Amino acid sequence: MSAGGSGGEAKGGYPPQTIMGLGIVGGLVGIYLGHFMPPAYSFFGGIGAICATVWGADAVRRVASYGLGTGVPSIGMLALGMGIIASLFGLSIGGLGGPVVAVIVAAIIGGVIGALANKVIGMGIPIMEQAMAEISCAGTLVILGLSVVIAGSFDYAAVIEYVIASGYIALIFIIGGMGILHPFNACLGPDEKQDRTLVLAVEKGAIALIITGFASSLHEGLMTAGINMIIGIAIWLVAFNRYYTYIKRDAYKVVGTGLLPSAEELQ
Amino acid sequence: MIDAIFGNIIWMLLITIGGALISLGVHFVPVGGAPAAMAQATGVGTGTVQLAAGAGLTGLVSAGAMMNLTDNLLLILASGAVGAMIMISVTMIVGTWTYVYAVGCVPASAKVKVDPITKYRQDLYVSQGTEGHGIPTVSFVSGVIGAALGGIGGSLVYYSLIEVGMSVGLQGSGVTNAVTGNTLVGVAAIFAIGIFLVNAVIPSYNIGGTIEGFHDPKFKKWPKAVISSLVATLLCAVVAVIAIAQLGGI
Repeated sequence: MSAGGSGGEAKGGYPPQTIMGLGIVGGLVGIYLGHFMPPAYSFFGGIGAICATVWGADAVRRVASYGLGTGVPSIGMLALGMGIIASLFGLSIGGLGGPVVAVIVAAIIGGVIGALANKVIGMGIPIMEQAMAEISCAGTLVILGLSVVIAGSFDYAAVIEYVIASGYIALIFIIGGMGILHPFNACLGPDEKQDRTLVLAVEKGAIALIITGFASSLHEGLMTAGINMIIGIAIWLVAFNRYYTYIKRDAYKVVGTGLLPSAEELQ
Repeated sequence: MIDAIFGNIIWMLLITIGGALISLGVHFVPVGGAPAAMAQATGVGTGTVQLAAGAGLTGLVSAGAMMNLTDNLLLILASGAVGAMIMISVTMIVGTWTYVYAVGCVPASAKVKVDPITKYRQDLYVSQGTEGHGIPTVSFVSGVIGAALGGIGGSLVYYSLIEVGMSVGLQGSGVTNAVTGNTLVGVAAIFAIGIFLVNAVIPSYNIGGTIEGFHDPKFKKWPKAVISSLVATLLCAVVAVIAIAQLGGI
């Protein structure tokens, strides 16, 4: 029994290259802006993470449409598992070029795991290598972006002290992974549309920004945490309304069920 | 960076072996996926990653607790294995209660005619249109074996990463009672979790999402996943060892 996807190529919407460009450029620019601007602007890291989340969700959508044989969540967890290793490696040796090194290492690890899945395990998904590399890079950028929100910079010592040693990394792991795996997992099916799935990714990324913004109050102070959370809430409201609009567009009919009937009405 | 690689080859090998053990262990765990959640397939009704990670991470916690008391590798591995075994046993026994007393079906395997351990007939009890249901004895035993392997593998990865960190002068276990602030424990734990998840997903693609245990015909495919895990974990181990060795400089 194959869970997740109908077993074919994902169709429609923006081409993969556009989304990939958005993810890489948006992600890296956000991370660097969050690093170089004063602490109050650390929300740029979160915006970079949202771009990367959208990219990751689109890559999951393309690869999971073929049917993975197991649930869609597995690939999101894989993305963050590869991402955590690549991102810390990049920061540890890269200095200012850390995020770029991290993305390159993530692409290598993802490409190798994708090739193993296709060649050794024999999954036979044509885009597996590329998609796995993309998912891994997106996971790396999500972790880096959210770390910048909490630590205010991507300096290795700062990330280790404020994100890893404090345990917030576990939080980033789950909410970042949720942003990548949940959109397609929630929207999959014959009526799946790319714009609806990706808007859900934006919404999940905004929730991640709100939560990491709250966590950033420990190190960056209440003012910065407040700005992070307000920007996160604003993006969330816009994205959620947009998502609801798309649901109403794609659904056959949206009806209100009313309140539960009272005991008298049931008799 | 090169020194870090050559100075820690033994730990990198242990991490790789740990990854391969996790990958092998996942093949033993009776994973039913979404069909089992509706009592239409044998096994626990959730995905491979959730089950393996749940058991493996409990193993990490119990191994980490043991590392506060001793640095004897065998004791630490045993503690990790027992933690993971307890976790998966509890999951499976409560799952079985639910299947038997709430869903109302007998545990039965659709892959074998008689249970290899209890010798009870299975095929008579499999409901029509299902791939078995519940967790029969053989799957339970298999799951406990798998959790032990996963727990040993996870603890081995964690222990090796801690040793790499200690070789560059970091503190391995908590000297104070503070919950936060130990950088090495944080980094080693999150790397161990990352490596664990990578090695839980690779075999789950190999078995196609569901497996009943070591009596399932799909179990014979394990060498493919273990070879893939060896390569993938070696790559992760090199990267993780360098990142931890750099911790010494900050």
